[in-house]
Amino acid sequence: MGGWTAHTLSFLSLIGWGVAALHLPDYLLPGPIEVARQILHLLGSPDFLLDASFSILHIVGSIAVAFVFGLSLALLTHFVLVVRTAIYGRLNPFLASFSTIGWVFLAVIWFGLNDFTVMFVVAMTLMPFALSNLRAALVELDKEMIEMGRSFGRGRARLVRLMMLPLMVPFLFATLRICLGVAWKVMLTAELFGGTSGFGHVISRARANLDTPTIFAVIVIIVALVYITDKFMFEPLNLRMRRNYAVA
Amino acid sequence: MLSPEQSLAASPPTSWRGRLVERLCGDGLVLLALVGWWAISQHLPSYLFPNIAAVFEAMMQLLSNPEFAVHTATSIGRIFFSVVLALLIGSMLALLPRYLPTLGEFIHERVKPLLNSFPSLGWALIGSIWFGVSSAAVIFIQVAILVPFALINISEGLREISTEEQEMARSFSRSRWRIFTLVILPMLYPYLIAALRITYGVAWKVSLVSELFGADRGLGYLLMDAQSNARIDLVFAICLIIVVFYGLGERLIVDPLSRLYRAPSC
Repeated sequence: MGGWTAHTLSFLSLIGWGVAALHLPDYLLPGPIEVARQILHLLGSPDFLLDASFSILHIVGSIAVAFVFGLSLALLTHFVLVVRTAIYGRLNPFLASFSTIGWVFLAVIWFGLNDFTVMFVVAMTLMPFALSNLRAALVELDKEMIEMGRSFGRGRARLVRLMMLPLMVPFLFATLRICLGVAWKVMLTAELFGGTSGFGHVISRARANLDTPTIFAVIVIIVALVYITDKFMFEPLNLRMRRNYAVA
Repeated sequence: MLSPEQSLAASPPTSWRGRLVERLCGDGLVLLALVGWWAISQHLPSYLFPNIAAVFEAMMQLLSNPEFAVHTATSIGRIFFSVVLALLIGSMLALLPRYLPTLGEFIHERVKPLLNSFPSLGWALIGSIWFGVSSAAVIFIQVAILVPFALINISEGLREISTEEQEMARSFSRSRWRIFTLVILPMLYPYLIAALRITYGVAWKVSLVSELFGADRGLGYLLMDAQSNARIDLVFAICLIIVVFYGLGERLIVDPLSRLYRAPSC
């Protein structure tokens, strides 16, 4: 019942879009058929695929940086308790309230227009998310398991590598998922103002040419990419992890 | 996701001496950052890294000089309006399947993923194409960016209200309005506050992108203007003033609201 309603309403929305587009000029609202044609055209063009791979590279790079820094800071705070206020009371609130476009303009002034600027902006935006989530992971760690680990060896590096990281896997995974969602949301802004490649660059060119169908097409492609990775990569992995780790 | 305050509370503080050292470390970091800023600004040209005094002066201008303060006030006004509107729309979307269950899949499987994966810049471009340069464009863009955050949090809260509690409420009254105001709304309150906290944060952090395209006023507009005129002291000042306003709003509005009502079981 709900499924049919959902299909019908989705279909009706598409029809509504099509009808509205008939009455409006293309630069205001291109119709679904026009946008679909543009998507096919873009997916067949090597230039666009190159830009797409740059975008994916930006995302992977910035998530990796945010993750490594977030994890190092969270682990540092876990072992050196006195820096707790410094990290969670000062640094994290500051990063959490720093505006993304602020980072964009600062990075453009400091580093110019390049891939590094884009990754810097996305990584700085992701850092507070990564840090708060990894902190939660360390708080939730099973104290008794850690104690058991400690009774087998005093080496901290061994403890982290053999006990803590494996226990944290479900949280690392959740952090990754959140980071990926946020990264896709802000990456376009970073690429449009601070980069010379990627989806943001495609949009920037389309905007200059008043090419609204291309803007719509890129947005639809991004929405589809996010949906597909979440539904077909993260959800099955999440289910498997729940079975292996028995976490709710 | 834990907020920084929650994670601090998660492990109890040690002795007073430990707390003092921790505090000193925290304030030491701030001091270190200021000293580092001063040292860097001595070595780099002022168009790359302004000195502290210039940035402080620009921050004061943003608050007192009418020419700049109008941008600050406009941004604050828009953000409050958009947050309220986004929370209303988010709650309506979340509550709709409760009263019309057939809509559940449409909202949770279609509308929510679409809104959630829509890039914020996409809304910014679409809003400025449709509404031109106006406050309506900015509000449209901000609300569109914020609604998924409100929707996700509030529907999470609704899921927590079990059917048994609803059944109990129904056994006391048939009036839907009474059930809603006396049972559902109070139980939902913590989630509404969580939604408010997140949308307010995202509004300052992300949705200022709306003012880059759809506005001729506001901090986002001023930021772009400052960058193209190479006024990096102003860029710094705007970034820092956003941090200040974000913190102030959370202390003065969100925190008191979250203390206003506590479920008896907590």
